[in-house]
Amino acid sequence: MKKQVIKSARLGEEMVKIKHDSGLTMLLCPMKGYSTAYATFTANVGSVDTGFRTQDDSDFIDVPEGIAHFLEHKMFENPDGDAFALYAKTGASANAFTSFDKTSYLFACTDKFEESLSILLDFVRRPYFTKESVQKEQGIIGQEIRMYDDNGDWRVLFNLLGALYENHPVKIDIAGTVESIAKIDHELLYRCYRTFYNLNNMVLCVSGNFDVDTVLRVADQVLKPDEKPVVIERKEFPDSGTVAKKLVEQKLSVAAPLFNLGFKCKSEGVSENLKNQVLDEILCELIAGEMTPLYRRMYDAGIINATFDTEIMAGRDYMCAIFAGESREPQRVADEIRKEIVRMCSEGIDRETFELARRATYGRYVGMYARTESVAGLMTATYFAGMDDIYSLLDIVANATKEQLAERLKLDFDPEKSALSVIYPVDGEETEK
Amino acid sequence: MSDQFQRIQLCGGVHFSSVTDPKFKHNRITANMVLPLNRDTVTNQAVVPFVLRKGSRVCPDFTQLNRRLCELYGANLSCDVSKFGGYQVLELSIYGIDDRFAMDGQSMIASCAQLLTEVLLDPNMNGGLFSEQDVELEKQQIIDTIESLINDKRAYAMSRCKSIMCEGETLAIEKYGYIEDAKRITAQSASEAYQNIMKTAQVELIFVGCGNPEIAADIFAKAFGGLRRSPVAVERTVTKLSADHVKETTDEMDVAQSKLVMGFRTGNITSRREFGATRMMVALFGGTPNSRLFTYVREKLSLCYYCAARFDRLTGLMFVDSGVEKRNKQKAYDEILKQLDVLREGGFSDQEIVASRLIMQNSLKSVGDSLGAIEEWYLTQIMGGECYSPSDETELLEEITREDIIAAARRVTLDTVYFLTGKEAE
Repeated sequence: MKKQVIKSARLGEEMVKIKHDSGLTMLLCPMKGYSTAYATFTANVGSVDTGFRTQDDSDFIDVPEGIAHFLEHKMFENPDGDAFALYAKTGASANAFTSFDKTSYLFACTDKFEESLSILLDFVRRPYFTKESVQKEQGIIGQEIRMYDDNGDWRVLFNLLGALYENHPVKIDIAGTVESIAKIDHELLYRCYRTFYNLNNMVLCVSGNFDVDTVLRVADQVLKPDEKPVVIERKEFPDSGTVAKKLVEQKLSVAAPLFNLGFKCKSEGVSENLKNQVLDEILCELIAGEMTPLYRRMYDAGIINATFDTEIMAGRDYMCAIFAGESREPQRVADEIRKEIVRMCSEGIDRETFELARRATYGRYVGMYARTESVAGLMTATYFAGMDDIYSLLDIVANATKEQLAERLKLDFDPEKSALSVIYPVDGEETEK
Repeated sequence: MSDQFQRIQLCGGVHFSSVTDPKFKHNRITANMVLPLNRDTVTNQAVVPFVLRKGSRVCPDFTQLNRRLCELYGANLSCDVSKFGGYQVLELSIYGIDDRFAMDGQSMIASCAQLLTEVLLDPNMNGGLFSEQDVELEKQQIIDTIESLINDKRAYAMSRCKSIMCEGETLAIEKYGYIEDAKRITAQSASEAYQNIMKTAQVELIFVGCGNPEIAADIFAKAFGGLRRSPVAVERTVTKLSADHVKETTDEMDVAQSKLVMGFRTGNITSRREFGATRMMVALFGGTPNSRLFTYVREKLSLCYYCAARFDRLTGLMFVDSGVEKRNKQKAYDEILKQLDVLREGGFSDQEIVASRLIMQNSLKSVGDSLGAIEEWYLTQIMGGECYSPSDETELLEEITREDIIAAARRVTLDTVYFLTGKEAE
């Protein structure tokens, strides 16, 4: 067992990183004064993992879209009932989620932490899939997919990703489609499980009200090492460097048009992408934050409203910047944002505004280290990005320079590599009954 | 450990409450203006916080105000409107890092509290009127907000069911008001609404965080000190205790998945114990992943992704909602009522009681870990005329027995069934 303490002088806090004998890495951050303990057990697999092989496979296997999410649902089932029934005895609030590149099982509790942690580490390591249970889940997930089909915010995002990326599976819906999940069977689930749920491909993160020794005790009791570490090779999806489409539109039952304007950023690998995400967040603040002239112009013209927001989405081998909101004139908003970026590229970044954007981002990041869920999220993200220190993200903000941002602006916000996605209201639909 | 809830009166109809805990890194100060829901005034009142957010006399320019917030390490000045029972609550809130983390040693609490009082009490008015342009923009925002309520089909269906259920009562009045009224908002009408709010609203100032609340309390006491006010009294909302007949409504819209919402009344709750029993009953029925609705409607029958029950503690209304295929509506409806019958007949295990209690206690104990949750908890207490802490309620749940839960389930009556569904026949 290897133990390492990681500290932040800036925040006066610390956490522990442990490589357990079973092969699992554990990131543990006890937080004084909190009642809740929050634990996530995460596998490095998500919806983008549609093709892969291990050191033992001769060929790549292509799996149906949505299988990582399907697997997440099915992990809760055991021969003697489901994991929720076990948590019922501890009172923990349990859940799981699948993202583009991660699958997390989690619980939050105020009492009986040790019992809940045993349940978590045990059930995620005990797959049990049958033909019948897979069929039943196809019904439930089918309804989850249908629910998202009606969700304008969700559709506008995935339509954008489809426009930005021609080949990359980041464009596919995390849950897949009703058709793709129909192709999933228990054997495929076992194969995915054996590949990705190896302890060397997972991480346990705990934050809040607990002590480190309890975690170690449970890990010693529950975790059985895998036969050998897995080496996963993922299919690569080379990027053309351009966007597949400049514009994509759909109609749904929404009140006003919803838009996502996306910029395909330069992907420089998982670790650099996470660092660049932080810098690009400051840039978004600088380009279109509430304090900027651009925001003011668009707001006063009535073409954006308070739903306007920005987001950087970074993963292993993709990264994009998104400007999103509701607008009666989405095309005009897109033109305004692109124009402002071109202006900033040629005229440079204003020093005073840069200072303000950096400060605002700094305050937001400080807040992230004060909530159990976000601490666990930061630990997971930095670990899979190959970064040792979760506090380094705060340092990136504090040490950001205008020159750094000017460079990122050119690389990540190229109007030539942008696309606009719009969801328009269905014609003639009454909004008020 | 956190400091107990403290509440003082600053002046007529203005209270300052605080909960502090050194573990936090931020402070959050919210001014809640509480007003009775009234169809005639609700819309003009709803626009006011959004107009106030545009600037103050000291800092009239929206962009300058936002730059000032960035200087305060991205302090977040937000506003919104919510509904508590029969009251509309207009809130203006500021959330900023604590003095400890400020790189330049300034007092963040004083700066944030000062900024909030300026925005609230010293608005950018000329001759007693808000700027025409600000009002026009925010009027359009309110219209957009009301119209976009249909985007979230689950929330929309829930709100429709509630309106149908409480038709004619103040409870049915929408928190943001109505489009036809919003279209008639003028600088004059919004400014009058503002004057009326400042004169008549109960003002609940709430400080939650790690800093010293007295700094903020002093600033508010000075700012409110000179005002002449005649605040309204806040009383518990009264609604019908049980349903006499079941109302059914179906709306058609362009949707892939249908939404079924069932509104229930939970009867005459006369004691704390009956209140606790009702909460337990709702949790056991459909409030957790071990509940009857999750287990039977979702897991056993595979009819839906979500089927849940929730309880509004201020009104005693209970809603069950589910996203289902049109053809499965009847199946889901029958199973939901069947599970309620199981509760009424006591056909549930002791394990289910323990599980519901544990998960509720777990969530009550975590209230103290989030600034937003603490604030919401105590505002709800204040609105209900009570002052219980989450740990009081944790203890209350210990006393609840199987018989209490059965009795609570037997008090429940179905009032309204609402179905939002696709246009094409299947």
